[in-house]
Formats: sequence, C-alpha cells, structure tokens
Amino acid sequence: MIRLIVLVWMALTIQTAQAVPVIQTATLDNGLRVLLIEAHNVPMVAMQLSLPAGSRFDAKHKAGSAAMLAAMLSDHTAKHDQKSWADWLDFEALHLGMGASRDTLNMSLTVVKASLPEGLDALSEALLQPGWNPERFKILQEDSVASAIKSQESPNVLAAQATASLLYGQSGYGHVSSGTAKSLKDIRLQDLKALYREQIKPQGSVLAVSGDIRMRELLPMLNQRLSVWKGKPIYAALSVSPVHAKKVQIKYVALPTSQALVQFSRIGIARSDKNFFPLFVMNHYLGGGGFGSILMEEVREKRGLVYGVYSYFIPLAGQGPFVITLQTRASQAEKSATVVRNVMKSLVAGEIDPKRLQATKDNLMGGFAQRMDSNRERVGLMAMIGFYQMPLNYLQRWTEQVDSVTVADIKKMAKNYLQPNDWNMVQVGPVKE
Amino acid sequence: MMKLIGWCFVLLCWMNVAQAANIQEANFDNGARLVVEEDHSAPVAMVQVWLKVGGRDELPGKTGLAHVFEHMMFKGSDALKPGQYSKTIAAMGGNDNAFTSHDFTAYFETVPAAKVDQVLGMEAERFAHLSLGKKEFSKEIRVIMEERRMRTDDDPNSHMFEELSAAALRLHPYRNPVIGWMQDLKRLNIEDVRAFYKKHYVARNVTVVVVGDVDFKHVKASVAKTFGAMPDVKVLPRFNPKEPEPLGAKRVNVNLPAKAPIVAITLPVPVWEPGKNDKQAAALAVATYILAGGRSALLQQRVVDEQRKAFAVSAGYDPFGMGLDLWYAYGMLGVKQSTADFETALWAVLNQMGEKPVTKHQLQTAKRNMVASQVFAQDSLYLRAKLMGRLETVGIGAKHIDDWLKAIQAVTASDVQHVVKQFLRPERATTGLLIPKSEVKS
Repeated sequence: MIRLIVLVWMALTIQTAQAVPVIQTATLDNGLRVLLIEAHNVPMVAMQLSLPAGSRFDAKHKAGSAAMLAAMLSDHTAKHDQKSWADWLDFEALHLGMGASRDTLNMSLTVVKASLPEGLDALSEALLQPGWNPERFKILQEDSVASAIKSQESPNVLAAQATASLLYGQSGYGHVSSGTAKSLKDIRLQDLKALYREQIKPQGSVLAVSGDIRMRELLPMLNQRLSVWKGKPIYAALSVSPVHAKKVQIKYVALPTSQALVQFSRIGIARSDKNFFPLFVMNHYLGGGGFGSILMEEVREKRGLVYGVYSYFIPLAGQGPFVITLQTRASQAEKSATVVRNVMKSLVAGEIDPKRLQATKDNLMGGFAQRMDSNRERVGLMAMIGFYQMPLNYLQRWTEQVDSVTVADIKKMAKNYLQPNDWNMVQVGPVKE
Repeated sequence: MMKLIGWCFVLLCWMNVAQAANIQEANFDNGARLVVEEDHSAPVAMVQVWLKVGGRDELPGKTGLAHVFEHMMFKGSDALKPGQYSKTIAAMGGNDNAFTSHDFTAYFETVPAAKVDQVLGMEAERFAHLSLGKKEFSKEIRVIMEERRMRTDDDPNSHMFEELSAAALRLHPYRNPVIGWMQDLKRLNIEDVRAFYKKHYVARNVTVVVVGDVDFKHVKASVAKTFGAMPDVKVLPRFNPKEPEPLGAKRVNVNLPAKAPIVAITLPVPVWEPGKNDKQAAALAVATYILAGGRSALLQQRVVDEQRKAFAVSAGYDPFGMGLDLWYAYGMLGVKQSTADFETALWAVLNQMGEKPVTKHQLQTAKRNMVASQVFAQDSLYLRAKLMGRLETVGIGAKHIDDWLKAIQAVTASDVQHVVKQFLRPERATTGLLIPKSEVKS
C-alpha cells in the first residue's frame, strides 16, 4: 500500500513538474534582473521590461505623466524621428509597445526569432535614447486629452476614477494611470524628463523573456546593448508609504445611461502580504471565478439581474484595491447591491460551503497550466514575480499553496475583508431621484 | 540587399507558419466534421464545437435568437442540471464560454488534455438533449437584455455602429445586430427557441475543433461515439442573399448623449472565395493593412499626425465572412475637430490610393507584418482553433489556411490600387455620424 501511495505521489509530482516551466535568472552588471522561460514550439520571442515608473510616481496634479512618458519613449528617439521610427519598426515587423500601470512603466517586445537582434536594438534605443521632440509631445498631449474627454462616456472609467479617489485620495494610487483631461493638460515635457531621470534605471527593474531563445544566447545580446545603462532609481521599486484607511463613502456619478454601474471597493493587500493565497482563493470563491463564483450564482443565475458581476483585488507594491462591480438596469441597482451585501454578510457569518471551496480550489489548480500556456502569459507572470521579488519557486509552489487553504482560512479572510460596512460604493448612471 | 533580406525573412516565417500540413480531419456519416491540430508543448487542449448557425439564420422579428443559445446551452439538459455544465468544467480546472456571430455559434473549453473525452461527451449530450425550460428562459432573456444595455444601448459608439450597419445594407443579414433588437428580445418566447433548436442544432451543422496535447485517432474515436452517432438530419442551404450594389452615398446621423463625435464609413466589399477571387480579397486585406496596420499606418500618419483631423483612426476588413464584408474606417474626433474636415481628409487618402500605386516598401511592410501576425497567433491555442473553426464554418475550409498566406504574398501594388479604386469609392459608402447630444439633466 505504501508503495502504491509513493507511486501515485511520484506520478503526481512528475505530472506537476512537467506542467510548470522553470524560470532561469541572471543579473546584468548594471543590476538589471533577467528572467527567462524557454519555449521552443513557436519561432518567436516575447519580453517585457518592467520599470519602477508607474502612475504612482506621477507628479502631484499631473496624473497621466507615466502614461505620457511611455507614449513619448515609444513614439520616436534621438536617432529616429517619429516617421522613420515607425517605418523601421514596421518594416522589421518589431512589435514594440509601452504603457504605464500603477507601479510600473512597461515596455513590451514581440518578434519572430529571426528578428530578435533588431528587436533588442529597438528596445534599447527607445529606452536609452529618448528624443524629447516638443512638437511630438504637443501632438501626443492633445490626443491624450481628447481621448480622456471621450472616455468620460464610459461608466467603467468614471467608476474607476471615483473609486481610486475614494480609496487613496491624493496619494500615488489615487488616480487612474491614464490621467484626466485636466491633469494631462498640465503636464510639461520637463515633468516627463524628470520621471525618466529619476526612475528609468536598471536596478529594481526586471526583464522577463519567454520564447525560442536560450539564456546563453540572450545575455551577450543584452549586455552589448544595455551595459551603458546604469544606476538606481530615486524611489525604490517597492517602497510605499502605508495607506491610511479613509472614511467609508457612497458616491453617485451622473451619466445618462439606462443601466447603473455599482462598484464596491475597499483597500486590499500588498503583493508581499502573507495572506495572498487565502485571499486569492476567497476572492475566487466570492466573485473571481466567473460562473463558479457565489456572486454570479446569486445575482445572475438565481435572479437574472445582471449580465456579469465580478470581484477582484490587485496586490501592488503597497495595498492595492479590492473591488466588486456589476451593471444592471438602473431600477434594479439597489436590489442588486443588497444581494451583494447579503452574500458578503453570509461569508462574514462563516457560511462557507466546503464543497464549493473544494470546487474553487479544483478550478484554480486544474487551470494552473492554462495560466502559462503562451509566451505572452509567461512574460506577464515572470515580470510580476521578478518585479515584486517573489520567490523563484513561486510557480512550483503555487498549486500546493492554493491546495493548503482551508475553510478556516476563508472564514478568517471573509471576516477581515468582507464586512459590508467597510466598503465604499460608487454608483454611475442616471441621477437618483 | 534589402530586398534579399526581406525575402529571406518572409520565406523563413512562411515555413514556420505553414499550418495546413498539421491539420487532420475526419467526416462522419451524419455530416458532423472533426478538425484536429496536435500540439504537445503543454498538457492542455482547446475544444471548440462550431455550428453553422448564427444571426443570419433568424427570421425577421426574431433577431437575437441564435445568441439566446449561447446562454441556454448552460441551462441544463437531460443529464445536467442548470449550471452543472460549467461547474463540471470548472472542477476539472477548465474554462468554458461561447460566442455567436452572424455566421456561426461556437462553444469552447480549455481543459487539461486528459479531460478531452469527458468534455466531448458533455458537449454532445447538451447539444442533443437541451432542456429549454420556460422558467430558465424567462430569467435568461432578462440577462440578455442587460447584456444589450451594457454593450450597445449605453455605449454611444457601439450604438452608432449598429445604426450604420442597418443603414448600409438592404438585404444582407449583417444589417441586424447579433444580440438582437431590443424590440425583438422583448417578444421572443420559449416556443421560438425550441423551434430554432430543432431546426439548427443537428449533426450536419457541427464541426468539432481540437487543438492541443491530443492524439488524432483517439479524438476521432471519441467524436464518432458522440457527435458522429447522432441522427442524420437534412439541413437547407443557409440564407445568403445577394446584396444589391449601392446606388449612391448614404448618411445616418445618430444623436446620443456623448462627449465627442465619431465619423465612420462603411462599404460592402467581397469576401475570400478560395480559387475564385484570391487576388481581390488578398489585395483588400493588404490595402487595409497599409491604411490602418502598425505604427506607420497611412491614415494615422496623414489624418492624425499631419493634418490633425482626428485623435484616433482605424479601418478594418474581414475576408472570412459569408457573402460580403462591411469594410469600415472611422475617426474619433476631439471636441474642436470638424466632422466635414475629417471626411475630406479620409477620402483624400483613399482616393490617392486608388490613383497611385503604393510603394514597394509599403507593400513589403504589410506582407511581413501579416505573416508575422500569423506566427504570433500560433502562440495561442484559442486563436489557432478559432481560425480553423471559422474557416470550416463559413465554407472556406481549414486546409486553405496556407492558401490565404500565399495569396497575400502574391499581391502587387497594382492589385492594391485596383481594389481600392473599384470598391472604396464615396458613392458606394454609407457614412455614420455620432453627434453628441447635450446631456439631459434630471
């Protein structure tokens, strides 16, 4: 019998080991961390460079600076004006993209294997030789402002702005990364230069690579292009001042729509929080697991009130937001919100169904391989692991961490995080009579 | 030298993209089909069940019916209680969902490869023995109305595009929204749903697509026992009327609460019929790439960057439709930009493309990127299966994947000029304007 168990155990381990790709790491002389997962099934390479220059570093009243910096670095360089840069990248089929999230400014590159040297030339040129062309800055700024005005048609954008502000006020996470029409107008080229000078540094940054390449081929190519890049950022990648919880509020935002968007929010956890896995499983149970989640069952399946209802939390360098959101015909908003609150109350009261919890865990564990079955997904995971300094066996240990979450853990998480009175509510839609 | 490098690049990618050789197919006596592409790089599989039924198969007054099934298929069958399908898939670590278009309905699951047989069994069971209860339907149709409110009614841009399609076509079913008009959704009843199910959910309309860590022979045996064992029910040819040629320009103004205007044009153009119009369809695809693909897209350069007539611009062509495609281009305008100026600038670019051949550089750039995109698409099981399923369902055939890339390679500058001149003309266009209406204060 023991032998049988051992065999079964071995079979399971082997299966898991096959499914979890190994992350290789290296550090360049300038301190840049490189993470690689080899995948030789498609002749392509994808990568993401994550730099500690996200929107939380935007200057005061200048929300959108990091996003504008990303747009400028991506647009042209000191060597290439906008047109010749666009022509060259397109001619070589180099897909170079940039954008800003809350913590990081990200540069991504996707190329066919044969074009990797040109791709790295492009990435390093965009990174190290910014053009700072004032005419292009003016054009990009005008277009960003126009886009920000247009985005005010979207209930999701209005809700995100209101939620960020309720949770974080004037601090770094208190605005959406894309900024507002007003804040974008106030940005000057020197603001972008300052952010670049202070934060675009190799130390604390991470380059995540996945695809048809080996570390021994990759490193010389990187060293050749990036060794002149040196230094560490003024503000360390992971240092954030703690968030002071604000008074819970209910806020209405007027929009002439037929539906109301209802968004509940509270402060969640930092990426480094030891409660990540229990909270992760609890959220999947609550509203993160699509049709398997209890919110979807209660609000959509049983009552037909919504097309979708979801919950998610975003672990960041600091404590990120925890959000529950739904859209329903305006006259049903209150009823739907009550159903959500009742679900929260029942979980706080300890009503956790062990069978549903097992199903939640089975879904997460069984679906683990799918979370990394493409280069794009692997790059995203590695960038997260690298930037937030997660242990390198994070992927290997993921399944057992999920598996070890118990009913008692979920009860504890629910008690700590789902008290309805701790949650803000934003409602976007027709103004309440 | 440049030219030589260019060709090496394209040829190299070409060899890596060629996909048809890896596609294995089987036909069953009852008309069901199976298409498999084995990929053993990860222990997962994508299972997609494609149906030759979509919005185009609805009768007038019954729009939205095909999409109703995307919801009802999860609401129970003889063997499975409502919601149990998704729960079972979730418990095996899978994800399931569905999508509906004018031309097809598809149900898909990503699962651990070892679960493929079980998934096929469940798919076939609900396909053949769907419950279609009145109570479940009355709840689900309300969910669909919420979906429509969210996606269309409350989004002024989608709403304008819906009006634009309806105004552009007289006969072709692409004039109706797949989700259905709200007026029709309010009147649909369970008898409509049952009749539609009986008529369309038959083996002859099914193509099963599996991509991933599977063995073709094994999957074939599994499908033979499930979809392949269903009764052989005859189906009628699908509704595919010939759209009359436009007789002049049309316009539709849509007044809705919005913050800034959008101007869109749309024109009926041919879709790809392998062996019949390869040059024409491929040239339209290349022309559209030159206009709107990548960073150096012509419309972006001329209309946005140089002339400042919009803050964003786009264009699109789908060669894999049935009967025709509604080619489109649109601009998103800032508050102070004029819709008339934008239209003038847009047509100037299109007219010039019809008068003068594009450069070799533009042509080569477009081709390289279209091939590269195919390489990148190989990275996703979902996209690979979707392309195969789609080509099967619209009547092109998955085996023709490589022929499309060959057709792209063969396009010349004069082909591009010719199709633009022939099809992208103002007198064939319907123009749609989203005009912001001042918000009603309550």
